Amino acid sequence: MSGTARARRPLKLGYFTVPENPAEPPKLMGTVCKDCGEYFFPKRVVCAKCLSENTADAMLGPQGTLYSYTFVHFPLFGSTKVEHSTGYGVGQVDLPEGPRVQVPLAGKQEDFKVGMALVAELDPIREDGDKDVVILRFAPVVSPDHGGAK
Amino acid sequence: MSILQNGREVAILGVGMHRFGLWPDSTNADMSRVAGLAALRDAGLSFRDVNAAYVGQIFAPVMAGVRVMKEFGLTGLPVQRLDNASATGSACLYEAVGSVASGRYDVAMVLGFDKMTGIVADSSANTDPANLEDAILPAAFFAMWATRRMHERGTKVEHLAKIAAKNWNNGGLNPMAQRQPDKPVPFEKAMASRMVAWPMTTMMSCPIGDGAACAIVGPVELAKQLNPGRPVVKVVASALQSERYDRGHLFMGPVVGPGRMTVDTSAVCYEQAGLGPKDIDLVQVHDAFAIEELEYYELLGICGKGEAEACIDRGDFELGGRVPFSTDGGLIARGHPGGPTGLAQIWETTLQLRGEAGKRQVANARNGICHMMGGGSVCVMHILQKG
Repeated sequence: MSGTARARRPLKLGYFTVPENPAEPPKLMGTVCKDCGEYFFPKRVVCAKCLSENTADAMLGPQGTLYSYTFVHFPLFGSTKVEHSTGYGVGQVDLPEGPRVQVPLAGKQEDFKVGMALVAELDPIREDGDKDVVILRFAPVVSPDHGGAK
Repeated sequence: MSILQNGREVAILGVGMHRFGLWPDSTNADMSRVAGLAALRDAGLSFRDVNAAYVGQIFAPVMAGVRVMKEFGLTGLPVQRLDNASATGSACLYEAVGSVASGRYDVAMVLGFDKMTGIVADSSANTDPANLEDAILPAAFFAMWATRRMHERGTKVEHLAKIAAKNWNNGGLNPMAQRQPDKPVPFEKAMASRMVAWPMTTMMSCPIGDGAACAIVGPVELAKQLNPGRPVVKVVASALQSERYDRGHLFMGPVVGPGRMTVDTSAVCYEQAGLGPKDIDLVQVHDAFAIEELEYYELLGICGKGEAEACIDRGDFELGGRVPFSTDGGLIARGHPGGPTGLAQIWETTLQLRGEAGKRQVANARNGICHMMGGGSVCVMHILQKG
């Protein structure tokens, strides 16, 4: 992750956190059902499993496990970054709390493996005045010795 | 009990199509008029005989449904517009079949149309996406089905390419198909075409297109009266389901599935029809990407779990094989404009059951499945039977 000093804003509010400290990974903003205990992403009001309205906000991640992946050979829509101009990884990522999410992945096709440990990060895709517009993506955990969800 | 089991027996009285393709100079009204008049002629009916219309479009503007219907005349009939993504045409048929079976109407017209050439031009003007989901293209979503399948079952890219090549070659035999190759397509060509989202290439993916398709639905007794010498094509199963929650459900992106929805919907259809997978002679599915067709072989019960790859290698699903799939070229070759796609499946299956499918004819075809998925998502399935 880059240690940029520039301020950051999310592409869309209400889906993931943007920590003040650039070294801190973002979390996903979801919902937990206080009756049946099921977690959801994104946020919702009614539990999709037991239909209870007794739900609350819950922070999810930042760890994840790669369920499946691909590499898209098109530029990432809305990005001005050179890295995104020839394509980008996409994954289905299982969060430790239960939800599965579809998100961009950091890296190339050969970096991905089903079942690998990932961690969420913020990826700047363009500038908006003095701020970087960021999306949430997952990256392979760098150190194999200390990798994986804790 | 479904309305098909305790209501009137329902038949496909007539079918018609405007060839799918890139038709920048044709309007939705033009294409719909061609498809609708062809279906009325095929049924032996006048538009004056039609009691109700169910119109399906995804991309066409508001009011397009009722406006396009004016091409056939202004008779005061009830016109309803319905949208269910890729399954739009199939969902319209589902409503029409229910309305005839219940006795609400005698003759219902089911019309689907769409023009994707216009919207692609419009959407390229939008360069400021606000949605996180924009990164997840449909091709990426289905490519991830393929990656997971490869991980679990050792599926090879060759298997996907063989499905694609089969559908391209079937398209070459269908005058209504968007992609009509002039010589046989080997699977190596499908593998070597441009990569969209690994391992899916352009030739393993459906194209964008324009087109229209129409089916006229009525009681079986009327079908016999109108065309006494012709086999009656009965609708013996009709079901539509949305998703049930399971852990790992995907709430964002162009979601189609989970696989359980096809299993559940086909179970309802087999029960309605009093049939099992072994009774099925041909199948049309939502093969927007080749991996989908592979999964549906198993989810519909046409082959056992984990057997799809061996069946592909044996040619089970090709014309002349055990149970031919996507005999008209499927979404990959016949095309997938949106609204009319599910009704193109009805066109193909009706011709097959009447023995009028020409070079694509499946010998002794008696029972045919038309299966569609609509993003979001829903599964719509019909079984047509030669009466």
